Amino acid sequence: MNALGVVIAVVTVAFVAAAGVYVTAWIDLVLARAVAGLEMRPLDALIAPLRWAAATALKARSTTERPDAEAWALAPALLAALAAVGLAAVPLAPGLLAADVANGIVLFGAAMALVVVAVFLQGWSPNSPLPMIGGYRFIAQGLSYEIPLAVVLIAAALPARSLAIAPIVTSQEHLWNVVRQPLGLPLYLMAGLGLAFWGPLALPEGQDLAGGSSLETSGVSLVLWRAAQLLVLVAVAAMGAAVFLGGWLGPLLPGAAWMILKTVFLLVPLIATRHFVARVPTERYVIVSWAILIPLSLLDVFAAGIQALVAAR
Amino acid sequence: MILNITFWAFSALAVFSGWRVFRADSMVRAAYWLLVSFAAVGIILVLLKAEFLGLILILMMGGEMTIMAVFMVAFMMNPAGLNPMTMVHRHRIAIVAGVVSFLAIAALGLFARFPVARAPVGVDPTRRLGVELLGDSMLVFQSAGVTLLAAMIAAIAISSARGRYGDADEGSVEPTQLVPAADAGETAEGTQPIVGGRQ
Amino acid sequence: MTLQALVFVAAAIFGIGVYGALSQQSFVMIMMGLELMLNGTILAGGAMWALTTGGSPKGQMLVVVLMTVMAVEAAMGFALVIGIYRVRKADITEKIKRLKG
Repeated sequence: MNALGVVIAVVTVAFVAAAGVYVTAWIDLVLARAVAGLEMRPLDALIAPLRWAAATALKARSTTERPDAEAWALAPALLAALAAVGLAAVPLAPGLLAADVANGIVLFGAAMALVVVAVFLQGWSPNSPLPMIGGYRFIAQGLSYEIPLAVVLIAAALPARSLAIAPIVTSQEHLWNVVRQPLGLPLYLMAGLGLAFWGPLALPEGQDLAGGSSLETSGVSLVLWRAAQLLVLVAVAAMGAAVFLGGWLGPLLPGAAWMILKTVFLLVPLIATRHFVARVPTERYVIVSWAILIPLSLLDVFAAGIQALVAAR
Repeated sequence: MILNITFWAFSALAVFSGWRVFRADSMVRAAYWLLVSFAAVGIILVLLKAEFLGLILILMMGGEMTIMAVFMVAFMMNPAGLNPMTMVHRHRIAIVAGVVSFLAIAALGLFARFPVARAPVGVDPTRRLGVELLGDSMLVFQSAGVTLLAAMIAAIAISSARGRYGDADEGSVEPTQLVPAADAGETAEGTQPIVGGRQ
Repeated sequence: MTLQALVFVAAAIFGIGVYGALSQQSFVMIMMGLELMLNGTILAGGAMWALTTGGSPKGQMLVVVLMTVMAVEAAMGFALVIGIYRVRKADITEKIKRLKG
């Protein structure tokens, strides 16, 4: 672990993160225009996110009465850092892995488990009622998605007999995990939506809370918060592509190109749910998650275990 | 060298944030100072090559400290720290007890003779832990699982708002506590509870 | 990162936990003291595993058991805090002096 390697890893992750956030914002805008029936104007949509970021960053920063200023400034940075750590655990190509730990799945799980802390701080710090309700809703949501997310990733790690991501990718040489564990990818995507509080699971930032946990945020903090949220979505899609869709494996193109294609393939439906599916009520989501999704994820890991036992004979 | 600097930096962070837990005015900050302490210990465990244990510690404590922050907001009268306050009792005795326990354990660590056997490099500790969990220590694993299940059921039973005879908000009372209404006869309402009946 | 240094740090964390558990009046703050004590114990357990047992997996089992203990203690503690508050309307130790109830 030399200093140059660390610098290269950090720069690579930052570059991939920035590119991912930009592409996600562009896809979101194009899809929004398509669903609304407007003309899509994809070239204009290339500049629109940057224009929004610049305009929001230059707006006057509003503040509330007696906020927890340090925690409020920390929350978007913490969310961005956690999403970057999650993205660093994903291998982009054989040998190109920023966080080469033996427990990549656990690193990803730990980073995603701390997202609850970031969103709660974002809701608590402004000292304002609607953001605080948003923060509390995310705690209920966060505890609900954590178990399906962890169990489904463990089920995907079973055929590889390793918790590191690179062996999981190479274990899919003959058959992708999405085929031999059919419950895995849908459950993972649902948990990932909850993780990024996007679309139907945008419970902390819903319209009934007038914007919820980021209601009082303005200026550079708001740009960083939105970018961090998109980065969480990118990290979820990238990990799903690596663990369920075979990562860098593919016939003609180089590994990194396949990785990018598969990530975008997962990103488009994730982003599209925002424009096609209404936000679910908190109680219904919690009941469905604990009563239906957790038993399904346990079924998934059970089936994966049986497959591993049969294959080991 | 870098390992030692990192270790001492995170140890200082763990001790400092542990101290700040009891000095913070804002209760949410106290809960999250505790999370910082746990995260620092988790990173030290990763430095000790117990990667799985360190990361699992951070994972667990993220959720647990958020729940603790929610409890602070619910039960403390000063959750946001808008008024400075200290709520301590037997302060001097507590300081003495803390210092004595620290000195005792530190003396134990400094002067006791421990066997020296470093963990071998190149053996995956996670794999060994997995083989151990499902092999020799299967009974411990199962007992821990059953204990956790019992704790879950007990916690839900104690804290549930729904009593055995109905919701707590609607005055869930045992049937033996109910007496027939004063004007006995064909009253449709039926019985009134002894304590705090409906008017 | 010798064993002595690690046990020293673990002892410091444990000592702060003892101070917190004994000095605080609020139930939740007492629980924070207990969590700090367990934090120090886990650090000491991990240090012992890495430096004195030669990487034996039974040492890791001990740390796993300690984490289980922490989870169980936190869950039961929170449930009892809610229970006591419902029955006695007490959130600090000074308000309850009898075990009856």
